[in-house]
Amino acid sequence: MVNKGLLETDILPNVSQPARYTGHELNARVGDHIGAEATMLLAFPDVYEVGMSYIGFKILYDIVNSNQAWAAERAFAPWPDMEAQMRAHGVPLYSLETYTSARDFDLMGFTLQYELTYSNVLCMLELAGIPARADERGEGDPIVIAGGPCASNPEPMAPFFDLVVVGDGEEAIADIMRATAQGKRDGASRADIVSRLAEIAGVYSPSLANRVERRVVADLDSAEYPRKFVVPFLEAVHDRVALEVMRGCSRGCRFCQAGMIYRPVRERGTANLCELAEALVRSSGYEELSLLSLSSADYTQVKELMSKLASKYGPEGIAVSLPSLRVDSFSIALARDAEKSRRTGLTFAPEAGTQRMRDIINKGVTEDDLMSAAADAFESGWDQIKLYFMIGLPFETFEDIDGIASLSRQVLELGRKVAKARGKARRAGVNVSVSSFVPKPHTPFQWFAQNSREQLEHKQLYLKERMRVRGLSVSFHDVRASHLEAAFARGDRRLAPVIQRAVQLGCRFDGWSEQFKPGLWHQAFADLDLDPSMWANAEYGLDDPLPWDHINMGVSREFLVREAQRAARGVTTPDCREASCSGCGACSGDVRVRLAGEFAASSRQGGGRA
Amino acid sequence: MSASMRFRVRLGKGDEMRFVSHLGYMRAFERAVRRARIPVAYSLGYHPHPKISFATALGVGMTSEAEYLDIELNLADSGELSTLEVFELLQAATPQGMPVIAACAAHGKPALASSIEWASYRANVQASIQPDLERAATELLASESAIAEINTKSGRRRADIRPMVRNISWRSGGVLECTLACGGRAHLRPQDLLAHLGLIGACVYRTGLYFTDRESGDLVSPMSVECTDLVMAMGFRPGELTRGS
Ligand code: SF4
Repeated sequence: MVNKGLLETDILPNVSQPARYTGHELNARVGDHIGAEATMLLAFPDVYEVGMSYIGFKILYDIVNSNQAWAAERAFAPWPDMEAQMRAHGVPLYSLETYTSARDFDLMGFTLQYELTYSNVLCMLELAGIPARADERGEGDPIVIAGGPCASNPEPMAPFFDLVVVGDGEEAIADIMRATAQGKRDGASRADIVSRLAEIAGVYSPSLANRVERRVVADLDSAEYPRKFVVPFLEAVHDRVALEVMRGCSRGCRFCQAGMIYRPVRERGTANLCELAEALVRSSGYEELSLLSLSSADYTQVKELMSKLASKYGPEGIAVSLPSLRVDSFSIALARDAEKSRRTGLTFAPEAGTQRMRDIINKGVTEDDLMSAAADAFESGWDQIKLYFMIGLPFETFEDIDGIASLSRQVLELGRKVAKARGKARRAGVNVSVSSFVPKPHTPFQWFAQNSREQLEHKQLYLKERMRVRGLSVSFHDVRASHLEAAFARGDRRLAPVIQRAVQLGCRFDGWSEQFKPGLWHQAFADLDLDPSMWANAEYGLDDPLPWDHINMGVSREFLVREAQRAARGVTTPDCREASCSGCGACSGDVRVRLAGEFAASSRQGGGRA
Repeated sequence: MSASMRFRVRLGKGDEMRFVSHLGYMRAFERAVRRARIPVAYSLGYHPHPKISFATALGVGMTSEAEYLDIELNLADSGELSTLEVFELLQAATPQGMPVIAACAAHGKPALASSIEWASYRANVQASIQPDLERAATELLASESAIAEINTKSGRRRADIRPMVRNISWRSGGVLECTLACGGRAHLRPQDLLAHLGLIGACVYRTGLYFTDRESGDLVSPMSVECTDLVMAMGFRPGELTRGS
């Protein structure tokens, strides 16, 4: 245990947001750490408010702690002011539940949600007093495991993990806890337990560099889902009841990694969801309930579910919301029902500015779709609309960038017209957020190079110039950050020492623009005679070996090749829920598309735990 | 019976929540009310919010056994609720570090926040510096005025703190107790008084909030004025939420 008195008197009064580091939230695990047969420190390499927003993290916490014999506790990356205090006072990374030092856990499991948290992983290991590289660890060190979407190419971080879990974590984490407890009972050595865990399906061992097939929950409706959320005292980024209505998306946007690696679409039944909603609302006291997934308007029974929930909880002052909107009138109607107050702006993601480009990326949105959705939104009373676009996509020309500007202006014009007609005093506004395309593993665009930094910067300037219109505001992602993200996403093990070096130099929280230090990253690469362009800007041939070839995420290479070729010809591929199967390879055996309708009859009894 | 009813609740803020901001503390209470399914009344308008008003904020890092709030309930649908019922529902729903100490029905018009004038605090003092501190306190109480640097809502400034110090006394075991101005008209943070006396970084514990009785000038508890049906937590001992006492 760390010295709580020292924390309370000498450390916490001197840091920003001290409640990040004190735990004791409602529904946090209480109870003894010592007596547990296997203990896991769930580590999220970003700040508390961010980590507490991820449903995957909550699911794993719940699964481990619902078994009396196991304990899962939490740790987040300390903000730099706290890190400095911890170092100054010799306080190691500790768990929020029992203030147990990270080193005293059997297992430490990192969620790799996005690439720009990699430096924080190493920083947390260092604060924990755990050697950074797996081959430097020994008896007494926790077994360090990673999971999450970035595990689909674990190579840049592979030397730092004893094991990596690939795919859905629900079943894998239980297997890992069980095997660890058994190993301890058998008096097995650490090395022995590591090799036992490596046998578990979906587990990748960086030292063996084995081929691995992702874990996938075939039937989400019977999978475990928390009935209690830890309710933070600090406002988390997403601070509400999140109901995961489905996993996976088959719209097939060719740049989107989540849209590929979580296939096939697996919905939960509405009976189950209503029951979960009730349990979560009652146990949390949250004032908002949100339907979570990659594209919740695509949930087959979204309308019924929304109206059921809204009529049940609306009168109690609990808002029901839909975070991800499609670009169509159906979505606006849903949002209109959900959000009586129009307090937040509406967000649409056309992603590209011309029909040609949207066909290339397989974003099934037309200009008409966007304009009529925007018209609906303005007429329903929203006056701020946010548009998401990407630049630097494969086959992009300057016409496509012009298209972004002209589409945005058209939406603004429309908003003005509607506002005028309705005699509204407040002017319509359009916020345009432009990110740079990052090629991601296991997508049809994995072979394509990211534009060079110079190209992206030029395109940003070009677009900015065309967007100088009152009422239109535009923001861009930092090109240097996107460049680094691309290098990590497509990288291999040669990057590991670079990341280690960067952390030594002081890189932390690279996803936070005020913390990101591109100069230090530049130096870290230079110190090892490497350059991020070697990965970010490499164009791979369709037959080239890729650093993530040994990780099987369900979708087949043949499908991805086919999609890349169709992209080159500007041919779209329909959603397999609406048209026929496009043969992506994600379905096999038990694993298939499951829609809410099939669970309709089986309203579950007695808690519904699988 | 009218459809709406106001209750006054006294909460504690224990060690588990000492670093939670006032905003976080209020939000945690609102969520407890929702979990308890107490029919709180909502304000009208586009962004309805529950009618809960806290007496005054407590600084981050402090603990307390005197956090008061008023909550208005809409009993049109649910029927009457007794103080005891409200008390018990809340007690079952608040998180660790937020004990429900007392509840009563509040009838008077005076808004809680604007009626608070004084607050009492307690701080542990190391034996080695206690004589110095006692001397400084005696000197302060004997003086007509005392200019010190204090923190206010609008930043640091110099002010005469003497009128804002009603009382400083000592309990056995090196515990300093003081009663200071609290509220919108005049406010002295206990840390500023302690710093003036020569003590930095003490853990401060709030023990009470008070109205001033207009006639006698005495300090009275917010639960003693136009309040009825008081329910107190069984076995509550003043001071129990403070560390090491
Ligand atoms: S295998 Fe066919 S049905 Fe299954 S997700 Fe892929 S495209 Fe859809």
